[in-house]
Amino acid sequence: MFVSVLDRPVPTKVTAPEPTRTIRDSSIARVLRVAQPYLYLTPAIALLVVWTYRPLVQAAQLSTYSWNLLPTTPMEAVGADNYRRLLELPAVGDSIWRTVVLILALLPFSIVLPVVISFATRGVHGRARVMYQSIIFAPFLIAPVAGAAVWQWLLDPSAGIVNRILGSDRNWIQDTATAQWVIIIITGWHFLGFAVLVVSAGMAGVNSDYSEAAQMDGASRWQIDRWITLPLLSPTLVFLTLMTVLLSAQWTFPLIDTLTQGGPSQSTTNIYYLLWDYGFHSFDAGLSAAAGIVLFVGFGAVAGVLVWLSERITFHDN
Amino acid sequence: MTTEMRNTGAADSVEGSGDLLRRIRGHAILVVIAVVCAFPIYWLFATSLRRPDDVGSLSPFPWPLSIENYTDAASKVDIVGLLLNTFGVAFVSAASQLLIALLASYAFAMYTFRFQKILYLAFIGTWLVPFQVTMLPNYVLLYQMGLINTLAGVVVPTLCSALGVLMLRQHMTSFPKELVAAARMDGRSSWSILWTVVVPNLRPALAALSILLFINSWNEYFWPAVVLQRSNSVLQLGLRSFMGTEGNDWGPMMAVAGMACLPVFLLYIVLQRHIVNAFVRSGLK
Repeated sequence: MFVSVLDRPVPTKVTAPEPTRTIRDSSIARVLRVAQPYLYLTPAIALLVVWTYRPLVQAAQLSTYSWNLLPTTPMEAVGADNYRRLLELPAVGDSIWRTVVLILALLPFSIVLPVVISFATRGVHGRARVMYQSIIFAPFLIAPVAGAAVWQWLLDPSAGIVNRILGSDRNWIQDTATAQWVIIIITGWHFLGFAVLVVSAGMAGVNSDYSEAAQMDGASRWQIDRWITLPLLSPTLVFLTLMTVLLSAQWTFPLIDTLTQGGPSQSTTNIYYLLWDYGFHSFDAGLSAAAGIVLFVGFGAVAGVLVWLSERITFHDN
Repeated sequence: MTTEMRNTGAADSVEGSGDLLRRIRGHAILVVIAVVCAFPIYWLFATSLRRPDDVGSLSPFPWPLSIENYTDAASKVDIVGLLLNTFGVAFVSAASQLLIALLASYAFAMYTFRFQKILYLAFIGTWLVPFQVTMLPNYVLLYQMGLINTLAGVVVPTLCSALGVLMLRQHMTSFPKELVAAARMDGRSSWSILWTVVVPNLRPALAALSILLFINSWNEYFWPAVVLQRSNSVLQLGLRSFMGTEGNDWGPMMAVAGMACLPVFLLYIVLQRHIVNAFVRSGLK
């Protein structure tokens, strides 16, 4: 999907009416004109370099050092040692596995439910639909920490409404069996409304000529959904998948940091939280940076595969 | 479900009774989902408005209403100060993101130049860099700049938003080129074209984007958590200070959580459709 944005032809600069003027211009003015787009871009690029790409390069360098983040202690070059330690640490493998589970478990909220809801509620139009959608969307705007706070209250072992209704005294957040699911459900709750809106918008964009033609040919509603609407929706679904994969880090971090701090017994420590933990709790900067670089490469690979898939399997309506 | 759909589909071609059934089913599903989604938010505000003795009550309506939880919270943290700080941080961050994105997207949309594609890719590439990768070097840089434990340190790393650039560029490429060409014929500089032709015409898009950026920075947790280690001077962190694993004071905590959501919700109630559109469009690049 990102690639399709890139491929769009760039509008040609509107220079046609002024060849005579260019000749009259001094060379300084010409240089200025050529430099113009770069000048407009300078603030953005400068910030991007300082806060995204410089640290990325530095993280790559840092990953070959051993350092405890204190300005007073010298950094010690250790070569590929951090990467070797990463391979050997069982916590790393475990946390990667938990991250995979997390992402897979989020897909029902970001893909399956939104598609089912959008298909099943097509009959609802107008004001009512807008109203439902704006209510479903509201959790997306809730600050993650506020979301964490209210869910902690809902799930409180003794006074929380969930346990009072279920008649149990389970400590959902501090139980290794359920802690990760709590994080998944809160994240899913945050994101569901957004995904529903994106899928609905995608469905509204599907040209109805096809389904009408199919209906004329005697196709059932289910057949039309399965063989026409769903395939045409696939770019939207690939996009939502990509977003789930890439943004699960951002969404879950505040929840984990405020609710479980990675516990109980590491059951909510995904790879993103492990990085934070290595960096700011164990002060093992080199290891954290090495894990970060591995993560970045992994992200790149996953995104590349998804973009490639979206080019291969999605059906474009044009 | 499949058979049901087939049935209604068949009925559909005969007459509209299947349509009515489907509509009722649609309403039923949406009501259930909406209630499930809205309940935690409702419970948050409901709890915060109960009397301290009633906090554990399961009655669906908080009655009698009381603002004691809010006054209680205000005695523990400086809520007004937190609100002002958070507002300041979100406002400066969003305003800067908007201005910088405006300039950058103007360059991308109105010019063709060398390295355009690579520079554009640099913005898309930020999606692939999780913040956990850049946090240590950025933390060190902020430390060297002396910005740790300051609000400036929270704002500075967020001054440029790649999302803003990508979204505004979409709007600008669909901007009527004739208007720009006409202004150029009048001999206006590209700078004055940006402010007198492009910006006034893009006002709805700019408004939507600025709200989106503001909400995002208001809800931002990561940088404040990294930078403000000793002081909890924005709302998200002030709220965190109420959250322990044991012995929570639920009433005041829900009051602070309510304050952390309220400004965004007020914006949402007033500008509902614009906000929804802005977020969805950000998804459908």
